[in-house]
This record gives sequence, structure tokens and C-alpha cells, in this order.
Amino acid sequence: MINILTALPCEARPLIEHYRLRGNGRHHAFRCYQNDDVQLIICGIGKLAAATATAYLAASEPQRNYAWLNLGIAGHATKSVGEVLLAHKLIDAATGQQSFPGIVIPIPCASETLTTVDKPEQRYRESTMVDMEASGFYAAASRFQSCELIHALKIISDNQSHNTDNISEKSTTALINDNIITIESVINELQQLATELDSIKQTPAEIYAFMEHWRFTAYQQNELRLLLRRWHALTPASSPAPHDFTEYKNSKAVLIAIKEHLDAQPIRFEEANN
Amino acid sequence: MHQVIYIEEAVADHPRTKSICARFPKATKVYCKHYGEIFNRKAQNFRLQKKQPALILAHKHKNHVLDAPDGYGIGGRRNYYFSHMLNCVYDCRYCFLQGMYRSANYVIFVNYEDFQQSIINTANQHPDEALWFFSGYDCDSLAYEPVTEFTKAFLPTFRQLPNAHLELRTKSLQVRTLLKSEPLNNCIVAFSFTPEEISQALEHGVPSVEKRIEAMVKLQQHGWRLGLRFDPMIYQEGFEQLYQRLFEQIFSRLSASGIHSVSLGTLRTPKAFHQNMVNLYPEEKLFAGRFDENRGMITYQKELEEQMTKFCHEQLMQYIPQSLFFACTPSENP
Repeated sequence: MINILTALPCEARPLIEHYRLRGNGRHHAFRCYQNDDVQLIICGIGKLAAATATAYLAASEPQRNYAWLNLGIAGHATKSVGEVLLAHKLIDAATGQQSFPGIVIPIPCASETLTTVDKPEQRYRESTMVDMEASGFYAAASRFQSCELIHALKIISDNQSHNTDNISEKSTTALINDNIITIESVINELQQLATELDSIKQTPAEIYAFMEHWRFTAYQQNELRLLLRRWHALTPASSPAPHDFTEYKNSKAVLIAIKEHLDAQPIRFEEANN
Repeated sequence: MHQVIYIEEAVADHPRTKSICARFPKATKVYCKHYGEIFNRKAQNFRLQKKQPALILAHKHKNHVLDAPDGYGIGGRRNYYFSHMLNCVYDCRYCFLQGMYRSANYVIFVNYEDFQQSIINTANQHPDEALWFFSGYDCDSLAYEPVTEFTKAFLPTFRQLPNAHLELRTKSLQVRTLLKSEPLNNCIVAFSFTPEEISQALEHGVPSVEKRIEAMVKLQQHGWRLGLRFDPMIYQEGFEQLYQRLFEQIFSRLSASGIHSVSLGTLRTPKAFHQNMVNLYPEEKLFAGRFDENRGMITYQKELEEQMTKFCHEQLMQYIPQSLFFACTPSENP
């Protein structure tokens, strides 16, 4: 699952069409679109709007491991209009704060520093893309997710020889559309990473069946979760089930019984290789 | 290959930075103020980063030489360690580094000369004592040699310090620099082993036992003094046969007379690190076994530890004299 944040509807439109996203009426503060794998939020211009929208989306389903992508247009002094670049360093121009997205996915394009400014600037900065959202987006998203799953992907919309006067809604949509294959490639990689993290952090499904049979305190629920994870690691072929423990009257006795069962299991690593 | 190399601005022009970067011409160079901005930040995942670690080139400002942890030694009274590199190219599931560090990226401190000067100063403070310096605590001493040229840089330092002993601890086959160098009497090249079956399951990316033995044979023939490290010993049902076979495999190829030291240690991890490791790899069988907590360390049960140590010690005594044997066990007194 991935959450995509764009500042403008014209940046979002190609993605809405490509992924066949549907408007989500549940959200009122921001315009949101989604399918089963992708959520898109249109935040408006500025880092504060970006941070707010990111936090809003993150808080709406806090349990899931989402990847996060800020997609949009950016300026650059020398890069060609239409070039797509992943941000490898984010700088907040107002505070000087630097952030470094963790790049563990194969990147299908070049990368560049991205500086987020509070107001549009007349002069281009040296050796950096410039936008107005990424630092707010990253600061908020990194409260909820690991840095390897948070990225900003920008398409150059203007440079020293092709200034912002040439940018229109239509040209912006076209820039995103022209790079949809690269964008999709980054989204796919991030989704895979999010799925992997989700499976690592997943609570064993059996926990709910056990909780229906016995009353576990919050502390015991955590203990049960750890024991069930041990169970799966030690005996991947078998699943624990409450009916194997019906002779035990209360949660404490069940936890002891599971622990004793696990402690008695032989450890053989060769099996793990097969 | 690294996709990204982070470089502290202060070492951007350091000759070692340039030579390391030259090995990765396609990598993107990203400049930072301090390596901690990347290495120590909170929201990062060691397991995900291990898929594609970045390289970080930095300057180590202080604490170039540190006291070695309790139980980390081979008979010397004064034991130190130094780390020109943080993190390891291998991915051993029992390794405490994955619980200690938030990041799996490799940090290389390029100011080797400051480490060397600290080593010289420490050696000069105790001119009449034998000092031990361990280089394989935060990384594998040799595995990244083609990039770091660590031994090439540090062997000359130890060549001029007769009272300072260097232990290079490794699981790698990167012995070319050593084979091109005149052996040092005060340097031990120590190889770590677990039985092949356990190595295959838990030591991801590590060369086979047989290949490591071959590297040791070459070094021994060249005159280097060797160490054997069975630390940590890993338990599995029938460990006796596995370790028996491992010792036979090693000592059928290596001459015991050329061995400097053999050490044994049981699996032991600080509790906080262990918990981090379990959270990173919840499906890992190694962590799902039975463990005890003993003075803040997660260990096998005491009886099992004793059983493994006793068995392996007895087996080793068939090949080496007691004088070469060292148990890597923290003292009972806190």
C-alpha cells in the first residue's frame, strides 16, 4: 500500500486515471482518491499543507505500513524540463534542516537534492531542485514510517531558460503523464517494500482466536503475540489453535503451556534452509 | 555496489575519500554535515537497509581507541578495540551490530592516521606491557579490504610497535594484502567459524567453511600466525556432531603448531539489542529458541552453555594444547 501526496489536482490527475482511483467521500478535509493499493491526497501548495495532509492520512489508518511518495513538479537551474528526479536529500530552506530519505530500492532515474522554500523565488538555487512541499511532507511522514519508505519524486517543470511563466495546469499534467512509467516503477518498488515490512510486523492471525477463548490483559496480549511469533518461527508447518489448549482454565495457564511447548521444541537450522 | 555514498563535507577532499569514491563511479554522492544525520536518525529500518546498504564516509573525532568489552580477549591484560568501519558486509543473524545500530549502512572513518596515532600513544603509555588491539569488533577486519585498504594502512603501524598486538578478526577470503606482506609476529589473523550447516542458515553472504580454511592454509604457509574463533557457538539439536565435524575439517588442513590461539564463546547479547533483533527478524528460528536473561544479557540456559563449552573444549583439546585455549566469557563479577 502506498500513500501519494500531490500539491495540485493537475499533478494528481494522471495518477487518478492511471490507477483508476475513486474519490473517497470519507475524507472531508482534503480531496482523497484510492483503490485497493494506492491512496492519493491533494494537499494544496506549501509545506504546512503537505505536513497536515500527510498526518491526516497517516492518522486515518495508523496500523498499516504504508509507503509514502510526494509527487509533483519542481524547478531546477540547469536540469531539463521533463526530467524526473528522486530526491536524495531534502533541505528546508527556512530552517536549514536536512533529511535523507533511505534509498534501498533500485532507482530508475537520477537523483538530486530538493530544497523546499516557503515562497516562490525569482532566482534559481545552485545544484538543487526547488519545491514548496517536500520538507513538510517528509517531516510528517517520518513520524509514522521508516525513512526507506518515504520518498519525493519530482519532474522538472522550469529552469533558467524555461521559467515558471510557461507552467500551466495542462503542461503540468502532461509532464506527469510523460513520466508515468518511471513513476509507476518507483511506486511498485515502494509498494513491495511496504508489503515486506507489513509481513515482518504482522501480528500472528491466531491471536484473535485465543483472545476469544480467554481474557488476556494488555501485557498478556503482548506476551501471547511474542509466543505465537516464536511458534511460527519454530514450527512453520503447524499453526497454534485454541482447541489444543482447552484444558487450561485461564490466560495465565495458557501462556505457560504455550511457552513450555515452545521451549521443548528442538532447534534444527537445516530445516530452515529447505 | 553502492547506489549512494554519503560524504561528510569535512572529508570531501580527503585522499582516502577520493580513492574510495573512485571505486564506485556510478554511485550518487550526497554530502552531509555529520554522518550521524544518516546513521543515527530514528526512523530507519536495519533489515530494509541491509538489502542495499549505502556507504558513509566520515571523520572520527575522538575515542579512536577504546577499552575492549569484558570477556573480549585472548589472554592479554590490556585489551583495546578500534573501529575504522561500522557495520559488516556480511549478514549474520546472531550479530549484535544489527541490534546495536539503527542503520545497516557502512560507515568508513577515513582519518586512519588519527587511529594510528592513538594506537601509538596507547602503546607508548605501557611500553613494558603487551597490549592487544582488536579491529574486528564493529566490522569484519578484512571483508572490505579492497575498498578500505585497512590492513595495507595499519600493518606498518604495528610493525613499529613490538609491544602492541593486533588481532584481525574475519570471516572473509580477502587475504591478498596479507599474502603480499611480510608476516608480523605481533599480528594474529583470526577466523570465525560455526559449522557449515549453521553458517549456511545464519551467516548470509559468508564464504563457505572450506573456502575460509583454504584462505587460512595460504596464510599459514606464508607465515602468518592464525587464530580460531568459535564465538558465538550456536546451539542446535545434535550440535556435538556438527562441531566435532567442524574441528576435524579445520585441523585436518591446518597445522596446530601455527595456531596462536583458539577461543570459544557462547551466544550472548545485551537484552535491548536482542529485542531489536527479534523485532527485525521475528520469523528467525535462532531467536525462537529458549533463552535466559543473565545480568542484562540474553544467553542460552546456563546448563546448555556449560554443556556446549565443555564438549567443544574437550574436542579442541584433541588438537591443541590448553595453553592456546581461551574462553570468551565475561567475568561473573559485575
